[in-house]
Amino acid sequence: MTNFFIGMFLSTLITAMLTTRLYRLIAWYAVNSLFLALAAMSEAVRIQDEAMLISALLTLVLKSALIPYLLKHFAVKFQAERNITPSIKVQYLIILIPAILVFTFYLIDPIIAGAAKNYISLAIASLFLSLVLMIEHRNVFAKVIGFLSLENALFLLAMTATEGMPMLIELGIFVDLLMAVVILNLLFKKEASHV
Amino acid sequence: MIAYILWIAVMVLTAPLFLSLIKMIKMWLLFKKPLSPLQGYRDFSKLLSKEVLISQEASAITHIAPYMVLAPLVVVLFLLPPPSAKSFFISFTDAFTLTGLVALSSFFLMLLGLDSASSFGGIGSSREAFISALVEPAMILVIFALSLMAKNLGVAQATINLAHHFPIEHLASFAFAGIAFFILLIAENGRIPVDNPETHLELTMVHEAMILDISGWYLALVESAAAIKFMIFASLFVSFFMPFGMDAPFLVALLIFLLKVAFVAILVALIEVNTAKLRLFKVPNLLGLAIIFAFLSLISYYILGA
Repeated sequence: MTNFFIGMFLSTLITAMLTTRLYRLIAWYAVNSLFLALAAMSEAVRIQDEAMLISALLTLVLKSALIPYLLKHFAVKFQAERNITPSIKVQYLIILIPAILVFTFYLIDPIIAGAAKNYISLAIASLFLSLVLMIEHRNVFAKVIGFLSLENALFLLAMTATEGMPMLIELGIFVDLLMAVVILNLLFKKEASHV
Repeated sequence: MIAYILWIAVMVLTAPLFLSLIKMIKMWLLFKKPLSPLQGYRDFSKLLSKEVLISQEASAITHIAPYMVLAPLVVVLFLLPPPSAKSFFISFTDAFTLTGLVALSSFFLMLLGLDSASSFGGIGSSREAFISALVEPAMILVIFALSLMAKNLGVAQATINLAHHFPIEHLASFAFAGIAFFILLIAENGRIPVDNPETHLELTMVHEAMILDISGWYLALVESAAAIKFMIFASLFVSFFMPFGMDAPFLVALLIFLLKVAFVAILVALIEVNTAKLRLFKVPNLLGLAIIFAFLSLISYYILGA
């Protein structure tokens, strides 16, 4: 089942890359995190790792509910521009995304063998894709979502490559993310008070 | 043999039912008074009693085209994967033949649109050609990925292989192929994000623009061709992506098959209610997404090793 959830993770990320509306981008991020949490859960059940189960539950609560809610709240509060057209045209993205996928495949191929190869390759591909998501937008909210997706991809990579990284590091990253969202809020508040 | 003929007959007879089902669910969700699921049959019998009127400029193509739109699709019906694994006839046809026959049907539909020399027909034909050209590469990639996973190029044998040995380790590429094929299903049948089948506004229509000038028996033929086309794509979708229930006795398997097609119809109706129609020049973006997913399906298959 992990295979399926990782596939859906990557497909929601690709769909998020092609959206042109801010709220829909936030919704896709939430769905993306939901599939990440489900993948982590099924992997945790498979290798019987309680710590990973806890980080999966935290992902479910924080990343697929709280952070999208906060981002939407801020976007409404600061009246962010809702039309976010990517600066890379869709025609180019259609070439770029498969190129990245093939590239990661050849990157992984000599290093790792076995069943985890698929997962790791897809995880590194989603790392690059969220980098592209961050590059292609001018809007701050979209850039933040790109950053959060990058973190999701790192979580996936850690989960699949090392069979669960230490939970302390996971918790640290979660707190970091929340801090990033809070700092975004402060930044906007400052900007709004200047205007 | 009897089961095979029964199956073809059921497919032809229930084809209008599912299009009416989509319309019914849509109206119900929009708080309108839903029409009866039998509306497709009523329209058909109404059209039969009407006179065939043909424009003076029309050539012999208009007399041939409605039959040629329907005929390849009926041939395709005979070659589709059967609902039961124990079927008498399991065709050896590969999916390229099927897509070729479907393309032949839409070629004659385009000719029909051009023949009456009205400007709408020309618009509709050019748009249809545009969309079907974009559907083609994604279709071929999806078919390749599926054939590799099922280890057979023939559609019927491939679905039976999938039902018996489902490649659980390739579930990710299976999901990608499913998403890509569903987008293609919507695009080929002219459902809402690509084309609105209910409007007659000249800016938006694709399929309706080509058949504006025909009436009566010919219109009935073209309308049933549209219903059968939906049935073909839905049946390919359910046999590839929901390969279960094929080992049951024939009648039970047929019932499960019809339920699965009804499920696809409900899915299409939900998407139609929840999305707006895309501008024509944004359609390549949607089909580009289908191409990306199809490619992804193939790549993630190769990553795991054939």
